[in-house]
Amino acid sequence: MGLIKRLQQYWTRLGVALFLFCLPLDGFAEVAKESGFDMPRDVSLDGHRITWLINITMVFLVILFVIMVIWMAVAIFKHDENHPAEYDHGDAGKQIAFALSVSTVIFLIVDGNLYVNAMIDLDEVFWNFSDVEENPDTVRIQVNAHQWAWDARYAGPDGEWNTQDDAITLNDIRIPVDKPILIQLTSSDVIHALNFPNMRVKADAVPGTVSPLWFQAVELGEFDIACAEHCGSFHYKMKGKLTVLSQEAYDAWLTEMSHQSALAYNPDDADAHWGWPWKKEQ
Amino acid sequence: MSATSDAYQNLQPIHHPPTSFFNKYLWSIDHKVIAKQFLWGGLIFLLLGGLQAMFIRWQWAYPGQPVPVLGQIFFSDSGGVITPGHYTSLFTSHGLIMIFWAITPMMIGAFGNLTIPLMIGARDMAFPALNAASFWTWFLSGLMVLGSFMVPYGTAAAGWTTYPPLSGNAGTPGWGQSLFVLAIFTTGSATIMGGVNYVTTVIRLRAPGMTWDRLPLTVWGQFLTAILNVLFVPVLASGGILLLLDRWFGTSFYVAGALAGEGAGDPILFQHLFWIFGHPEVYILILPAWGFIGDFVSFFSRKPAYWYKGSVWAMAAVSIMSAVVYGHHMYTTGMAPLLGKSFMMLTLIISVPAELLFLNWLHTIYHGSMRKTVPMLFALGTIFVFGSGGLTGLPLATISTDLYLHATMFVVGHFHLTMASAAFLGTFGAIYFWFPKMFGTMMDQRLGKAHFWFSFIGLNGVFIGQMISGYAGQPRRLYDPYQYAFTEHMIGINQLTSYFAFFLAFGQIFFVINWFKSIFGKNEKCEQNPWQVGTLEWSIPNPSPVYNFKVIPTVTCGPHEYSNPECIEKLGKDWQGQWESLDSPEAPAPEQEDDADEATDPGAEAAAETSK
Repeated sequence: MGLIKRLQQYWTRLGVALFLFCLPLDGFAEVAKESGFDMPRDVSLDGHRITWLINITMVFLVILFVIMVIWMAVAIFKHDENHPAEYDHGDAGKQIAFALSVSTVIFLIVDGNLYVNAMIDLDEVFWNFSDVEENPDTVRIQVNAHQWAWDARYAGPDGEWNTQDDAITLNDIRIPVDKPILIQLTSSDVIHALNFPNMRVKADAVPGTVSPLWFQAVELGEFDIACAEHCGSFHYKMKGKLTVLSQEAYDAWLTEMSHQSALAYNPDDADAHWGWPWKKEQ
Repeated sequence: MSATSDAYQNLQPIHHPPTSFFNKYLWSIDHKVIAKQFLWGGLIFLLLGGLQAMFIRWQWAYPGQPVPVLGQIFFSDSGGVITPGHYTSLFTSHGLIMIFWAITPMMIGAFGNLTIPLMIGARDMAFPALNAASFWTWFLSGLMVLGSFMVPYGTAAAGWTTYPPLSGNAGTPGWGQSLFVLAIFTTGSATIMGGVNYVTTVIRLRAPGMTWDRLPLTVWGQFLTAILNVLFVPVLASGGILLLLDRWFGTSFYVAGALAGEGAGDPILFQHLFWIFGHPEVYILILPAWGFIGDFVSFFSRKPAYWYKGSVWAMAAVSIMSAVVYGHHMYTTGMAPLLGKSFMMLTLIISVPAELLFLNWLHTIYHGSMRKTVPMLFALGTIFVFGSGGLTGLPLATISTDLYLHATMFVVGHFHLTMASAAFLGTFGAIYFWFPKMFGTMMDQRLGKAHFWFSFIGLNGVFIGQMISGYAGQPRRLYDPYQYAFTEHMIGINQLTSYFAFFLAFGQIFFVINWFKSIFGKNEKCEQNPWQVGTLEWSIPNPSPVYNFKVIPTVTCGPHEYSNPECIEKLGKDWQGQWESLDSPEAPAPEQEDDADEATDPGAEAAAETSK
């Protein structure tokens, strides 16, 4: 690589840094902290489905657990050695019918509620990639995970992937608010998992495989991206930032980012061209 | 003596007891000695795995601070501080050691060996030499594990699940990871030897009258576990072999992406092989405990086990279904939607037999006459922790809720309550219960109760604490979990959780004292049937002669005949031994008792007698 070209690249990087420094971030300086033992703040369109289903199930489970503990407590404290034991094998038709009906009722209410809601939520939202794919508003991002960082790629103005005008970032995913975000995810070394706790979703980044993930943010702000699969000694350091911007701010950022990335483009740097032709989600 | 009974005696002739030290203590083919070998070995590894857990908890409570005292011994290269490298090795080997070198040998190796022949009325296992080979193969695998800590780059560090490509050469270089995978393969071979033996013994060597519906639930648990081991450990072994080929010979079964040279494999293939084994494995580790609990709640409530056949069918149903639910570990891998939804359905269905088991245990203790002995406390504790752990599995079994909960500390809390706490409490209950059988003395009941309360409170504190922080989003396996804005505030709950862990560890001192005092101290020999229960092992002296039963008993009733008014009237006690008959209470059933004095010097005479 020629000296001129190298200088050019440094110059571009300095430019990008300066630009990012000056970019208005809609008033958010830092990732908002959480407190208490509730789930992290939900800022997604559909995360409430998961939050609700977990919480309602927890209510059922606590009720069942309390019944179990009371039952045990009565046996422990009242049916102790001073209480005569019943000679009962518990295999009369009535007793079996009782046990089977109790199990069935619990199964239908607790498991049934989980199953029905999960099926609806998966079909309507979380595993419904075809609707998102066809939605003209959808923002598409490719993410390549590696030890220990996230590379993100936006197609740029030409709409083609792995070309000179792709916007490329490191540990920095910016998205517009109120738009479906469709991410295609892979890894170039070991398995990682892209985890957005504030959106309630995550997906594994598997080398050799492209996995989809989608969500829609409803609030502006900055949020942590975590890795949810053990990926080596510095797994805990694999941390990215998700920034939800207004549409205007996002457009401005993307245009500039694409421009800057184009300037830094080096056709010989094979490692930098990890993108792939978009795989249409079914 | 009937012709059938004769046939049974001839099928299992009485052998001379071994005389040389080598045959008595090292290459012993006596299932009771092998049981003790497994128990000692398992306890030592339990100590090691427990110590590692304390280091992990130290790191989460005081990230990056030197471990007091022990740090200078174990982390001397970093001044007593646990480094990220140490930490990954710690949680990886903690999981593997606890599963394959602590719970498996204690719960299955020790108590499967001890209880199966004694409870079904057999003189030994079907293949006694294979049984000894199983122990020594396991022992060899244990040496490999210890060796893996001493090689350059240290021991395994890719997580207990050993997912490639991280577990490949590029992700975890060095001999440590290879040795550990080889050790898993080796201990898997030991498990298969044991499993074949247990299955054959239960099918072939039951005493006359010991029909399938008279088997103690303990034997059912061990039998079903052995079947699962024989079926699914080979799947893990094949997965391990392919991984070793990748590591040693540069194949790429599991390598894809930039690391792959020519011809890429699929990392997900390993996950399928691993979990086809891995999910049955969690039932492998809980079925024996279910068996213990099923028997103990009946024994100590002085009441028949409620709907015995229902419990047996439920355990069998769980065993069968355990093979078809494994995909719930892989919901986030991007599996085909139809496949994922099928696994979700099946996983939710497996909760039904588990509910039936719970109802049967609860019904058994209800309207009983509970004796709060140490084994009973441990059984009740097991029900409690398995209740909370089992219930919290439901939101993890469901795909949409798992999208949030997957890979959080919630998962860690859940599976530690089910397969760790329940297995721990169940196994220690079994130790207190069968200690007289193994060593001829009772363990101290007061120390036992102290051990129970420390363990019970400690285990619940640790793992409920983990579920709370996991619910709030704390990811698992983080060296420093406070890196994120959504976890930064959670150091308090983690410290509290760690204090519970230290409390738990402290409580184990009561067991250690009790264990050594009861084995090596001057103790009174306890009576032959200290718990007043009716399973066959209590019809013979403690410790039992090498051939167990001088005369193989004929079984007349089920294992849970308590508080039968007819029995109280005819035998004058509230329990009926499986060898006792109510029709002719005068019949000379327990000839074994004559042997009580010979117990320490068994063999020659008896052998001569049978050969006549």
